[in-house]
Amino acid sequence: MGLLSSAATFVRYRVVGDIAPDFWDTAAEQISRCVFKDIDDTYDEFSVGWVSVLNMFDTEFTSASFVAGDHICLTMRIDERKVSPKVLKKFCLKEEERIKKERQIPKVSRGQRLEIKENMEMLLMKRAAPVPATYDLAWNLAENTVLFFSTNQKAQSQLEDFFKETFGLLLSLEIPYTTAERLLSTSEGHALANISPAVLV
Amino acid sequence: MDLVDLITEKRFIGQEFLTWLWYKSDERGGTVLLPEMGEDITLVFEKHLLLEFGEGDSHEKIICTGLQAELKEARTGLQMGKKLEQARIHMIRGEYEWHMTIKASLMEFRSVKVPKTMDGVDEGDTQEAVEGRLLDRLGLLETVYKTFDELLGQFIRIRISDQWPAEAAKLRTWIHHSDR
Repeated sequence: MGLLSSAATFVRYRVVGDIAPDFWDTAAEQISRCVFKDIDDTYDEFSVGWVSVLNMFDTEFTSASFVAGDHICLTMRIDERKVSPKVLKKFCLKEEERIKKERQIPKVSRGQRLEIKENMEMLLMKRAAPVPATYDLAWNLAENTVLFFSTNQKAQSQLEDFFKETFGLLLSLEIPYTTAERLLSTSEGHALANISPAVLV
Repeated sequence: MDLVDLITEKRFIGQEFLTWLWYKSDERGGTVLLPEMGEDITLVFEKHLLLEFGEGDSHEKIICTGLQAELKEARTGLQMGKKLEQARIHMIRGEYEWHMTIKASLMEFRSVKVPKTMDGVDEGDTQEAVEGRLLDRLGLLETVYKTFDELLGQFIRIRISDQWPAEAAKLRTWIHHSDR
C-alpha cells in the first residue's frame, strides 16, 4: 500500500508554517537526529524513526537518498512490543494458581492480583518481539504537500507528532472542505462556509 | 472550527462532489472536461460503489458491484437519499491510465494503480535509477490528486454560485431517470 507498491493508498497533508530558507542545508541533520533506533536487544516498548523507503533496515540512506527532486521521501518505522490480552490473562491465572497452591490459600487478594498482573505484563513485554510497521511519506517542498501512504488514523496521528518533532512543522490533513477553501478566493470562501447539504431526491 | 468538527460537519461536500462527478461522467459517456486545461479526460465509475445513509446507530452502508455505469442498485440508493461515499474509478488522461478508489468524505485515494511508464532497462539499483523511479511514480500519483483538485474546484465554484439550483435540478433528473 506504500509509495512503491503496485497499489498505493494515500492521504494528503498541507505543511503549515514557513520552511526556513536554509532548510535543505539542515534537513539531513534533522532527519539523522530522528532515524529509527532498533529495540530488538533492549526492553523498550516502543520506537519510532525514519528509514529509507527502499529498506526498513537502512537508516543511513545508502540504498536510496531521502531526496528525490523537490521531494523528501521517507519511511516512518514504528516497532512496538505488544502483549495480547488473552496471553496476559492466561499467565496471570497461571501465576495465581501457583501462589494459591504454594501458600495453601483459597484465593488471592485483590492487591495480590493487581501485583501479579503488573509483574506478568512486564515479564511478557520483555519476552515479546517488537512488531514492526512502516509508513511511507513524500513531501513535495515546492508545493508544501505531504503524501502519507496510510489511511490508518493512529498512524496519521503518530506521523503528525513525529513530523513536528523532526522538522518543527505542523501538518494539516486535507479533506474536501479544506481543499475547496484553498482553491477558492477569500470572498468565495465565505460562501463555501455557508453551504448546507443539498437535497437531491 | 477544528478539523475533527470540519470532518463531521462538512463530509457532505466530498459526497456531493463524487455524486456530481458520476453524473458528469455519465452525461458524456465517461468523458469529463477539465476546463482549466481545456482537456477531455475519461473517468469511468466501475465495479464498486459504496453508499451510506444516516448517522450513529442508524448508520447504514450498501456496497454495489457491477459493471460500469449500469450499477442500477447504487442509483436506486441515490433516489432513496443515500450518499455516495466511495467509488472505484478508471481514469484515462493523455496516453496513461489509472485505476483508483476514492473515499469521498475524507478524499482518500486508495489502491491507486498507476500506469507503467519506464522500461525494464531503466530499473537499475543505483541511487540515480532509484531517484528516477521515485520521481516517475510521484509524478503519476500527483497527476491523480491534481486532476481531482481541478474537478473539485469546478464543482465547488458551481456549488456556491447561482448556477447551483439549475445544476442540482439536472442532477435530480439524472438520479430519477437512472432506470430508463
